[in-house]
Amino acid sequence: MSEHTVRSYDKELEDLGRKIAEMGGIAEKMLSDAMDALANLDMDLAHATIAVDMRLDILQRDIEEQAVLTIAKRQPMALDLREIIAAIRISGDLERVGDLAKNIAKRAIKLSTEPRFPRALVGLKSMHEAAAMLLKDALDAYATRDAERARMVWSNDVELDALEDSVFRDLLTFMMEDPRNISFCAHLLFCSKNIERIGDHATNISETVVYLVTGEPLPTERPKGSSQFSEVPHPAM
Amino acid sequence: MTYASSIKPDLRTKISVKNLQFFYGENLALKNVNMDLYTNKVTALIGPSGCGKSTLLRVLNRMYSLYPRQRAEGEILLDGENILDSKLDVNLLRARVGMVFQKPTPFPMSIYENIAFGIRLYEKLPKSEIDGRVETALKGAAIWGEVKDKLNASGLSLSGGQQQRLCIARTVAIQPEVILFDEPCSALDPISTAKVEELIDELKNNYTIAIVTHNMQQAARVSEYTAFMYLGELVEFGDTSHIFTSPDQPQTQNYITGRFG
Repeated sequence: MSEHTVRSYDKELEDLGRKIAEMGGIAEKMLSDAMDALANLDMDLAHATIAVDMRLDILQRDIEEQAVLTIAKRQPMALDLREIIAAIRISGDLERVGDLAKNIAKRAIKLSTEPRFPRALVGLKSMHEAAAMLLKDALDAYATRDAERARMVWSNDVELDALEDSVFRDLLTFMMEDPRNISFCAHLLFCSKNIERIGDHATNISETVVYLVTGEPLPTERPKGSSQFSEVPHPAM
Repeated sequence: MTYASSIKPDLRTKISVKNLQFFYGENLALKNVNMDLYTNKVTALIGPSGCGKSTLLRVLNRMYSLYPRQRAEGEILLDGENILDSKLDVNLLRARVGMVFQKPTPFPMSIYENIAFGIRLYEKLPKSEIDGRVETALKGAAIWGEVKDKLNASGLSLSGGQQQRLCIARTVAIQPEVILFDEPCSALDPISTAKVEELIDELKNNYTIAIVTHNMQQAARVSEYTAFMYLGELVEFGDTSHIFTSPDQPQTQNYITGRFG
């Protein structure tokens, strides 16, 4: 796409993209730090993760203000309009990802006083890897304006849903085996829900990227994997 | 050129432009343009200066016939009748296809006469009936309330925005079927512009409307269909909502987003 006749317009749009990239980096790091804090009971890291969420909130507010101002000043059309709408939506998703990672860090702090049951963390680690991959792919798809890659994220989220389902059943089993695990495992249940939601936000981001690139929204129904109360079908991929 | 989205079946075509070529002397200004204007819909014509959009508008009521060395080839069917036919009575055509220009052009006569003059050209009516038609036209153009107590004042005494609505009233008074607007708001302030846009919204219930505008937002606001023209060609035609959010042609995108060279 060639440049705008008014060059400061290009600068404004680039600036939005840059801030989204920064938010993406922070959100990814928050997720991995929160999971490390959880796995290693690293309280310093947990507190640092909670503290950094503020930066994400500020960036999101910046992006929103700047987007509103650009709409007012430039009355963007077509691709430019989609660019700005995408920035607003994605910054909202990333802000939520930060909140969810922060929640995991808070759980890590609470867990530090509970008796540990390391085996319960194995499933969460897989969920974390899957969610981190979805988030990375969604952000890369945004950075490269790659609708195909975004569609992949959109359909790959079923795997994370399936993992959540199996983590749920594992944790239930551990709790039934030994009631002393209940407190630890109950906290982990919340963590797994947080990770699953991060996957949903990655999916939202990928939907936005498809809209940004093609101008067409994805269908409202995305491929459904499992729910906690049904059989786990074989993932579509 | 592409149709951006499927045209809905309940649309009735009012004007059908077929293989239209237009010449200013040797100069080819419109290159094989094909498009339809639909009954009771507003179609916006957009494009950079010199792209042929005003020329196309001027062909639709044979305005160009007033000038030597200008000619059109192809067909323009108004309800199926070719208006480029040399045997056609252009005065009757212009009564059916009215036009509102960029600059308000009230006649140097009273507000009342500005409207009545046109009516008398086409119809012999008793004074009382003309009075009624003048009132209806001024109401139709949303200016009655502002002028009803000074119908004998000069049309030129009105503000720019009022003058433009007076011209719209003049057009409406002779009960045309199609109204062509050539940048009707480019000389108006935002409030007058809003009034004219509101008026266009009302008028489309009774007329078929085409509007040339340089204001993208205005095109997006007032029209159901948009045609993007460039260098005498119709590049893209489609639903306005589609054209302004995700046009099919890169040239359209460049133009509406302000990326033109």
